[in-house]
Amino acid sequence: MEHQYIIEANNLCFSYKTEDGGAFPVIKNLSFAIEKGSFVAILGHNGSGKSTLAKLCNMILTPDSGTLVVGGVDVTRNDLSEDDIYQLRRQIGMVFQNPDNQLVATIVEEDIAFGPENLGIPPKEIRARVDDALRAVNMTEFARHSPTQLSGGQKQRIAIAGIIAMLPDCIIFDESTAMLDPIGRAEVMETIERLNREKGITVLLITHYMDEAIRADRVIVMNQGEIFLDDTPRRVFSKVDQLKSVGLDVPQVTDLVNRLRTDAGFSIPADILHSAEAVEVLKTLYQQKKLRIDREEK
Amino acid sequence: MEEAKHAASIALENVTYRYSIGTPFEKAALQNISLQFEGGIITGLMGHTGSGKSTIAQLLNGLLQPTEGKVTIDGKDIWEDPKKISQIRFRVGLVFQYPEYQLFEETVLRDIAYGPGNMGLPQEEIQRRVADAAKFTGITPDMLEKSPFELSGGQKRRVAIAGVMAMDPEILVLDEPAAGLDPRGRKEILGGIRAYQREKKNTIIIISHSMEDMAIYADKLMVLDHGHVSRYGTAHDIFCHAEDLKRVGLSRPQITKFIMELQKAGIPVESGIYTVDDAYHEVLRVFGEKERG
Repeated sequence: MEHQYIIEANNLCFSYKTEDGGAFPVIKNLSFAIEKGSFVAILGHNGSGKSTLAKLCNMILTPDSGTLVVGGVDVTRNDLSEDDIYQLRRQIGMVFQNPDNQLVATIVEEDIAFGPENLGIPPKEIRARVDDALRAVNMTEFARHSPTQLSGGQKQRIAIAGIIAMLPDCIIFDESTAMLDPIGRAEVMETIERLNREKGITVLLITHYMDEAIRADRVIVMNQGEIFLDDTPRRVFSKVDQLKSVGLDVPQVTDLVNRLRTDAGFSIPADILHSAEAVEVLKTLYQQKKLRIDREEK
Repeated sequence: MEEAKHAASIALENVTYRYSIGTPFEKAALQNISLQFEGGIITGLMGHTGSGKSTIAQLLNGLLQPTEGKVTIDGKDIWEDPKKISQIRFRVGLVFQYPEYQLFEETVLRDIAYGPGNMGLPQEEIQRRVADAAKFTGITPDMLEKSPFELSGGQKRRVAIAGVMAMDPEILVLDEPAAGLDPRGRKEILGGIRAYQREKKNTIIIISHSMEDMAIYADKLMVLDHGHVSRYGTAHDIFCHAEDLKRVGLSRPQITKFIMELQKAGIPVESGIYTVDDAYHEVLRVFGEKERG
């Protein structure tokens, strides 16, 4: 049966155990569902539970209570075999922050083959998957290079290729651009968007960069282990004061038009998201203003 | 009037740094580079991955020794007497990337006090410095008695920075101090570093990838490209050369690009806008509007 959702969480709870025997709750009674093929950004201050949530979805961590359904299978059931868990983990890939901590082999294509080899895929198919994964991240020409010769952005793209070679349904990016320079960030973001659009891979993008989040279909804002906002980027980023109240920010252009609207009384819609829209609105306002001045002068 | 405190300037003079010397992997990370960080200001050091930023940071506090050339503080070679290089590390503080992994003491207080303790300072002076560093990094008194391992990643980062600040170095070098922090955390850390610099009037070098942050917090910017200084100057000097920046893997702040788009759309805003604050006032000026109380 085809499921509409790749991940469904119901009343999920998770606490880290403290040394003195207590528990520190990080995820509090969380319920949400991620549609197949969607591109969802997850925002939240440091310690809001974003990364814990990612690790629960990827089954690195097990929830204390609640249910988590991945690809139609309840992973919180206790009768799952090792093999079931392997299969589930394969469906949800994860790319972490540090490009230097994720590559294992000395040659790029061997690194990408590492995952499928462990899944017991026949060599011929591995070859095809590696070639396909290299193409998907635009790194074919680096197949025989050593990862140490690559830039941060290139290393992250190889880490992504390693996951693609396992044919995942969903990839979780846990601040995967945080350590990259602006060009590296742009390369990785372009790759992420393309995988979502062209391969239909569901993307969960955990990030602190508001300009990355506006590219998603949906933005979930976490605060203190709970969902604070869950809506389209346009609607989420129109709530400037609410975002700032939980330690977040809005993209610079959104910040500017919001101040023009609230502090200087410009008649600008509250939900401007892209800079092209803001240019259009200000251009119209400016032309109206000039007309008014011209008339007054006559 | 109080005499203005002298702020140390630090320079690389014709420095070449090779690693893995004598092996087939020998490679020059820096080749005959000369640059100077002015005293008494915050310089933002920017460049693409592999441009040599982190190598420079380690050369500045004597962790690496130049293969050729000199590192000088106020013109004096720091390697003149290699036995005294540990003294240089007290004068030039270095905060590594992700320094939160380097905490090791039992309490936050002891971790911050570790550096000044090593300098052989009297107890009272150490306490004063710890309190001072805690103030600039936003560490609250109740945090001081906790184990560093009870803190969040962002809080640990503050402790690590405070530990180097407490050594009161003449020159402080920070490698990506705000990487991985949420927007509020970024503002607090960078704002704290700036407040600290304004009070101590010492010399600070911040390595960063964020043009947006450096436009706000740095006094001057230095752009590196493959081990050479491609540009040095104010935000204005740097960001008016868009093509240059692109070539070296960097880009102008988002707000600067937006102001250029407004210009193209026929709105006569001035170029040279690098922060949201400046953009706001410039738009108001052009529209002939005033901010409402």
